[in-house]
Amino acid sequence: MGKEIEVEPVTRLEGHGGLRLVIGDDGKVKDAQFNISSTRFFEKFLEGRYCEHIPRITPRICGICPIPHHLTPTKAVEDAWGVTIPESARKLRVLLQNAKQYSSHALHFYALAAPDFLLGPFADPALRNVVHVISKMPEVGAMALKMMDFGQKLCADIGGKSVHPISAIVGGMKKPMSEESRDKFLKQVNEQVEFTKKTVEIGLKVVEDYWDVVANVGVVPTYYVGMTKNGVHDIYEGDIRIVTPDGKKIDYDVHNYLDALGEHIPEHSYATHMYYKPAGYPEGIYRANTLAMINCADKMATPLADDALKAFREKTGPISHHTFAYHWARLIELVESIEMIATLLQDPDILNPDCKTLDVQPREGNGVGVTEAPRGLLLYNIWSDAEGLCKKANLLVATNHNIAGIEKTLMHVAKQVFEDKALEGLTLPKPWID
Amino acid sequence: MAVKVAFMQNSDCWGCHQSLLNAHLGLLPVLPALDFVYWPAVVDFKHESLVSRPDKDILVGFIEGSLRTNADVENAKLMRAKCQLIIAFGSCSCYGNVHGLANQWDVEELIQRKFEKVESITNESPHEPKEHMPGFTSKIVPLDEVVQVDAYMAGCPPKPEAIISAVQFLLGQKPQPMAEISFCNDCSLNNENCLLEKYELCFGPITSMGCSLKCTDNGDPCVGCLGPSKTVSVRAEKLKNMTNNIDQLSTGDKKNLHEFLTLFLNVPLMSGFDLAGDILKQVSHSGEPKTALANVPADTADIFANAMKFLRDNRDFIKVSTVCDQCDLQIGSKSQMTRVKRDYEGLPNMHDCLIEQGYLCAGPITRAGCGGLCMRVNAPCSGCFGQSAWGVDQAERFADVVTKGYNVALSKEELLAQIKDKIGFTEKFTLAANKNYR
Repeated sequence: MGKEIEVEPVTRLEGHGGLRLVIGDDGKVKDAQFNISSTRFFEKFLEGRYCEHIPRITPRICGICPIPHHLTPTKAVEDAWGVTIPESARKLRVLLQNAKQYSSHALHFYALAAPDFLLGPFADPALRNVVHVISKMPEVGAMALKMMDFGQKLCADIGGKSVHPISAIVGGMKKPMSEESRDKFLKQVNEQVEFTKKTVEIGLKVVEDYWDVVANVGVVPTYYVGMTKNGVHDIYEGDIRIVTPDGKKIDYDVHNYLDALGEHIPEHSYATHMYYKPAGYPEGIYRANTLAMINCADKMATPLADDALKAFREKTGPISHHTFAYHWARLIELVESIEMIATLLQDPDILNPDCKTLDVQPREGNGVGVTEAPRGLLLYNIWSDAEGLCKKANLLVATNHNIAGIEKTLMHVAKQVFEDKALEGLTLPKPWID
Repeated sequence: MAVKVAFMQNSDCWGCHQSLLNAHLGLLPVLPALDFVYWPAVVDFKHESLVSRPDKDILVGFIEGSLRTNADVENAKLMRAKCQLIIAFGSCSCYGNVHGLANQWDVEELIQRKFEKVESITNESPHEPKEHMPGFTSKIVPLDEVVQVDAYMAGCPPKPEAIISAVQFLLGQKPQPMAEISFCNDCSLNNENCLLEKYELCFGPITSMGCSLKCTDNGDPCVGCLGPSKTVSVRAEKLKNMTNNIDQLSTGDKKNLHEFLTLFLNVPLMSGFDLAGDILKQVSHSGEPKTALANVPADTADIFANAMKFLRDNRDFIKVSTVCDQCDLQIGSKSQMTRVKRDYEGLPNMHDCLIEQGYLCAGPITRAGCGGLCMRVNAPCSGCFGQSAWGVDQAERFADVVTKGYNVALSKEELLAQIKDKIGFTEKFTLAANKNYR
C-alpha cells in the first residue's frame, strides 16, 4: 500500500521546515519534498533604506549567525562605494567572524546534533534533546555551555551585542577592542583550546561508533559551494569555489557570482533551490556548509585544523559525499576557529583605535559582499543610489544554498530506507545515555 | 513538579532562542523547573502533539516571531487555546520587527520581487510556490491584534537575564521565595493605627513577610518590595475595596501605587519584561486587563487587576523611560548638531550624546530596557525595544524631542528635511503597529 509520510515541523533546526515523502503502491519512493514555509521579503523592504543601515537590519535574518549577516552587507556597501578599510578593522572582523563560528559550531554539535548520536536514533523523542543531555552528562553539558558562552561573549564584546551585532560600519569598525577585555579573553583561550580537543575526541568516537552509518547512508554525489582565499579555507574573504562531484575545483570572483550560482524557484518551498548554473537544474544541485567548505579547501588556515583535515581525507578520500560527515567537517572548522581566535587575540592591531576610514563617500553602483557563515556561503548584492540609499538588493543566504541539496539527499535516503531496506543490516552502537 | 512551557516560533530568526541559550550556565537552575512540551528549535515534539493537548494544558506559552504567513496566525491561535498565559516574546511578536517594513508595499509586490524578479532566478516563468505552502498575510500585524497577550517581552532580542528572571517570576521562583504569610503578621502598627483602617493605601496584606526595614515602623505604608505572599491577611478585603475606587486616591496614595507596581512586580529586575508598560497597549485593544501573575491568591490577583485598570485609563501615570535614561553618553555636551550626519561619516567620540554629535539615534523615542548597549560601542540606537509613545508620527516626535531637549542647532523643520529614510530610522521595528500602513 502506498502512503504519505509527513514530518511537521522538522525540529532542532533554525527556521521552518517540514518533510513529505510519497511512497507508491509498489513500495517505490515517488516524491520527497523539503518544504520551507517561511520567508520575510528582505529583498524588498531593504529598498529605500540608508545603505549603511542595512547591516543593522539584516542580522535579523538569522539569530544564530547574525555576525555574518552584519559583516557581509557592510562589505557589499564598501564594495559599491569603493571604500577600503584599515587592517585593524579587517582583523577585528575576522576575529568576530571566528568567534561566531566557534559558538555556532559548538551549539550545532552539542544542542542540535548530539542528541541523535548520544541517545541513538530510536530514543524516546521526549528525551532526545540537549536539556536531557545536560542532565545525564553534566560535565560535558557544562563544557558545551562554557564553549558557547566564550564565543558569544567574545561576539558581544567586539560586536556590541552577540545576537544582532552593531559595531561594523561602512569604512571599518566603530571601536577597537579594549586592552582589558582582550586580556580577559586571552586568559580563557587555553582552556577553550582544551575544550575543543575534548570535543574533537567525543566527535571522533561518535564517527567511529557510527562509521557503518557514515559510510553507507546518505552518500550522495553533488556539487559543492564554498569560499577559499588562494585555495586556503577562509570564512571572511576570498573567491567563491565550486567543487564538481568528481572533485574538480573552479573559482569565481565574487562579482561574477551570477555566472556560477543559479536560483530555481520550486513549487513547494519558499526557500529557493540553488544550483551550479553551468551544469543546469537539477543536475547542478550543490550543497554548502561544513562538508562543502572542507571539500573546497586545499588546506586549512591553521596547523591543528590542517592536521585534522589530512586525517579526514585519509579516511574519506579527496572528496567526501558522506552526509553524516558534515559533523566531522564541522569539528575541523571548530578547531580552526579557536586557533584563529587564539592567534588574533595576541595581535596588537585589534586594540588599534585607527579602525575606521574616516572619509567615506557614497556613490551610485552595486557591490557584492561574500563571507562563509556557519551554515554556508553568504552573499549580498546591494545597489546604491548616488546619495547612498538602497535601490535594490539580492541576498543568497547560507541555509538557502543547502535546500536543494538536502532535498536531493532526502530522496536518496528515502530510497535507501524504503526500497533497499538499507537500515536493516546496519551496525549501530549502544547509546551513550538513555 | 515541573510546569509545562511551550515555545512557538513564527516567522523570524531564532535570535530570541539564542538569547535564552546565551544565559548558558544561568539556565541550569531554571531548566529542571520547566517541562518543555513544545519547542521545535530544541525539542522533538511535533505539531500534532500540541494540537492533541487539552485546552489550557500548558501554563506559559512564549510566542516568538512575526505573523508573515497564514500558518503563523494559526500557530498563534493554537497556542492561545493551549496555554494559560501568552507572552509576546521579542520585538517580532510585540511590534512586527523589521519585517513590518514590508507593510510599505502590497504583498503582491513583495512576492514579485522575491519569486519572480531576483537577478539570480533562472526559471522561465517563475512564480510564488503554492504546493504545501501556507500563503502570506497581506500585512504583518503585532501578535496582540490576533490573540490576547498577557505579557510582553520586548527587545531584539530580549536580554537573557530578562528572560530568565521573567520565567522565574512567572513560576513563582523569585530570588526571595514567596513567604507563606503576609507582611501584616509582622507589622508594628496595631489595629487602631493600621494605615488601611485610616484609608491609606498599604500593600501589607498581600506582600511577603520578612523584611528587616519595615516602612510601617516610620508610619509609611508597605509598598510591596518583597513581592506576593502565598496567603493574604484579613485586611486584603479592605485593600481590595480601596483599589476598586482607585482613581479617587490622594496624590500620596498614587505615589504608593506607583512604587508598588514597580517593586511588587519586580519590574526593575526584568528590563523589557513588561507588565506595567505595554500591557496598556494590550488592554486598550482588548478591554479588561488580565493579570499575568501565576500562583497568587485570588485577592492579590484582583488588587493587581484593579491597579492595571487604573493604568489603562491613566496612561501617563507611569512615565515610560527611554534609552537615553540608560545611556552613558552625555546630553548637553560641548558638541552640537548643525546638520544630520550619516553613520558612515567620521567616527564619533565616546563621550558626547550621538545626536549632539550630529548622528541619528533613536534613543529619545525608544523605550528603555536594553541598558544602552549600542551606544557603548559607539553605535546609535535603532529602536529595537519599541516606541516610548504610540499613535503619533514618530519622526515628528523625534524632531520635537531633540530640538527641545538636546544640543541641536537645527529647527524641527530643518531636521526633518534632512532625514531621508524617516520610516527606516524611526519605525524600523514597529511599522507593523502603525495602522497608516495597512
